[in-house]
Amino acid sequence: MFIGLVIVAFSLLDFALLRLLLVFLSFYYGLKKRKIYYQNPIVSGLLSGVQAGFMLRLPFLRSIPQVTRAVTLGGRTVVTGAPEKVEVFIDGQPVLVDPGTTVLQAAAMVGVEIPRFCYHERLSVAGNCRMCLVEVEKSAKPVAACAMPVMKGWRIKTNSELTRKAREGVMEFLLVNHPLDCPICDQGGECDLQDQSMTFGSDRSRFTDITFSGKRAVEDKNVGPLIKTIMTRCIHCTRCIRFASEVAGVDDLGTTGRGGDMQVGTYVEKMFLSELSGNVIDLCPVGALTSKPYAFMARPWETRKTDSIDVMDAVGSNIFVTHRTGEVLRVLPRTHEEINEEWLSDKSRFACDGLKRQRLVSPMVRDSNGKLVMVEWEDALVAVARALQSAKGDELAAIVGGFADAEALVVLKDMLNILGSESLCTEEIFPMDGAGTDLRSNYLLNSTIAGVEEADVVLLIGTNTRFEAPLFNARLRKAWINNDLRVASVGPKVDLTYETENLGDSVQVLKDLAEGRHAFSKVLNGAKRPVIVVGSGALQREDGAAIFQLTQRIAQNARVASNVGHDWRVLNVLHRVASQVAALDLGYKAGIEAIRAKPPKVLFLLGADEGAISREDLPKDCFVIYQGHHGDHGAAMADAVLPGAAYTEKSATYVNMEGRAQQTFTAITAPGLAREDWKILRALGEVVGVKLPYDTLTQVRARLTEVSPNLTRYGDVEAANYFAQAVELSKLIKAQPSSAPLDVRQKTLEDFYMTDSISRASPTMAKCVQAVKKQRQSKY
Amino acid sequence: MAKYITGALDKLKVTFDILKQNGGIRGSLYQLFRTDELKNGTVVGTDKYGNTYYENNRYFVVFLDYDGSQVPAEWYGWLHYKTDLPPTVKPSVKYKWMVDHTENKSGTSEAYMPFSTTKSKIQAWDPNARKE
Repeated sequence: MFIGLVIVAFSLLDFALLRLLLVFLSFYYGLKKRKIYYQNPIVSGLLSGVQAGFMLRLPFLRSIPQVTRAVTLGGRTVVTGAPEKVEVFIDGQPVLVDPGTTVLQAAAMVGVEIPRFCYHERLSVAGNCRMCLVEVEKSAKPVAACAMPVMKGWRIKTNSELTRKAREGVMEFLLVNHPLDCPICDQGGECDLQDQSMTFGSDRSRFTDITFSGKRAVEDKNVGPLIKTIMTRCIHCTRCIRFASEVAGVDDLGTTGRGGDMQVGTYVEKMFLSELSGNVIDLCPVGALTSKPYAFMARPWETRKTDSIDVMDAVGSNIFVTHRTGEVLRVLPRTHEEINEEWLSDKSRFACDGLKRQRLVSPMVRDSNGKLVMVEWEDALVAVARALQSAKGDELAAIVGGFADAEALVVLKDMLNILGSESLCTEEIFPMDGAGTDLRSNYLLNSTIAGVEEADVVLLIGTNTRFEAPLFNARLRKAWINNDLRVASVGPKVDLTYETENLGDSVQVLKDLAEGRHAFSKVLNGAKRPVIVVGSGALQREDGAAIFQLTQRIAQNARVASNVGHDWRVLNVLHRVASQVAALDLGYKAGIEAIRAKPPKVLFLLGADEGAISREDLPKDCFVIYQGHHGDHGAAMADAVLPGAAYTEKSATYVNMEGRAQQTFTAITAPGLAREDWKILRALGEVVGVKLPYDTLTQVRARLTEVSPNLTRYGDVEAANYFAQAVELSKLIKAQPSSAPLDVRQKTLEDFYMTDSISRASPTMAKCVQAVKKQRQSKY
Repeated sequence: MAKYITGALDKLKVTFDILKQNGGIRGSLYQLFRTDELKNGTVVGTDKYGNTYYENNRYFVVFLDYDGSQVPAEWYGWLHYKTDLPPTVKPSVKYKWMVDHTENKSGTSEAYMPFSTTKSKIQAWDPNARKE
């Protein structure tokens, strides 16, 4: 036991020396990556040496893989010979690794997992928890596996007596100041400390509180309505701090004090103002940061987890829906390297309580007094069918909103087409002039989300990626850190959490760029892998077509100038809602201009809740049918309401903005009389007298495949091309850009939380908006 | 011998008393059918339901409805030997805030149903709720 403690003490001494070395090295490797460091002059003085040490380590470790990256991405850069592999032995197993690989990574390659608390593969290396100490043969002391690069011929023992002693010692020290409150701790059952103390800890402790002085206690911090802090449980792994400053780009978290008095916090009482803040809950290896809305709700072993897809934005993040007894309890991210990695935006994570409020649980029909009354399905279907039959084919129209799944979209389209109507529109506007939505490359994020990591210049047009697609923005930030990405934006000045050159918000800037007159054109033409992203928000304007035409020209110029191959795509459209790509793939018209021009007699709203159309735009006798899951703008103006299922309640297909079809699975059943959307439409077709040739989900999906085969190729990105042709066709666009400056709808964090019918019904999201507004009034 | 004869005569007298009190042979058979026993005693009083209270060497009640919850509070104390003074002798104190005694309504349509304290998992949209 004593030996174990001596070993730990020695290794800590070693850590201090290593830190000095690393401080020196990182200065040597240049401080141009100043982006990571703590810049606040007031608090940087308070920072302990420990923190400054690991903060500076990042550029050093990151600079190693970058050499290899230049080679692998090569073609353009001078190709140096691939570095020779190093052979090391993990528990006697030989493994060949690249130089610079850490002991921990090398061990992972042969399937040996070394316990850790502070190390996280997506964050910089801190090396301060010491849990990953392993024995290296002929080394006097155990080494910290997460921070130590392997040397040739090292024989690493991950399960020797010395290693186990070291782990026991670390564990004992950690538990001296960690409360034994597992029975009332929300992390219980999914706690790294709990698991690792069971596996690697000692069965007894020398901690006896003979003076009854108590364990270390730390005051809890208030960091907003999403994260509950119990700081006494903190083991100072600093994962949350590193996440905040590296991934979220918000330097709100840090440490004060040192040694036993070290505290993780926000220095002053301040909300953690980030759209990705919920991820620190997952990162925290103990119960110091837990979910406030989920507090004391359930234990992980009581719940079921269903794989699903998030629909709160168009990114299509992969999620787990955690549920128990027919109730969604929380949403957690599911790792998908090409979409969300392992992060999730706060709206996707916390708006799930909106699924329990303002729900439509029964069909409703407006009675003679003009009030919506609950009726049986039969009555509702008959009333709706009668309305549909009373109108001629061209007097029918449909508008689909942001949560509509591909199955419901295709069934609705088939039914109305058979009835003779062609006016099926999406609520989101997209210019239909020129090539419009006929060429798929016009409306996709062609570079793909992971693809932008390879870009060197990104131009954002009329979009605030941070709030429209938080995880796409996190990718841009990642590329900005690791790949020296240069980002410029046209539009209002917004904080994207990384350095952005704002070129102004006037449309004239776009014209200048398209004609190569702008100062930035030089940068764009000199780029090796340029990416142009236009926000769908900018295309909602009257002159959206003109803006899109200019964007296409800029993209085509950049494409020609950079001379990239056909597999590199420059033009990207950033959508805001989950249903848009699938709807356009299925042939829906974008925008409700046609409906405004020719008001229909019967209007079918499939989850259209953004208020694009109101009663004033429609003739008095127009019969409005709303099908969806929330009582919002759409249901309020409807004459008949058909309750549908939300995304957690149906197996449905969604296509994200890169054109990747993904499916959700049924986690719980829809509440009350609500049913899956395609089934409602299928039943309605039966009553109307339209024979739709499918009865099962498989048959509907077969129909989807018939219309657009990519819709059922789950998980694959269906890439699109014909950029040059699209530019040619865009010359047909006659619309002239107006002089109004480009604007975005979501400018600051308070605009981010409540944007759709689910998040508008969510009490947690409402609390977030209040909290951010309150924070804005605070002097910090 | 005489002891046995007087004993038998006593029993006979009690039998006749019981028969007489319960309204003859027909009445006694009816009472036996309703309450499964025949007793005799001095009538002490009746309550608002029409139940009759008797005493011989014990206190007892003959129900009209054969329902144990039909004993009003004022008679309850006497019937259960909490006091020897029936309400006919010492009327119980009445305040205006006292509610009238009710029998147990379980199993009827008027049965007591406590409201549910569990929150419903789904809160439905009310189309006619006033907008703020």
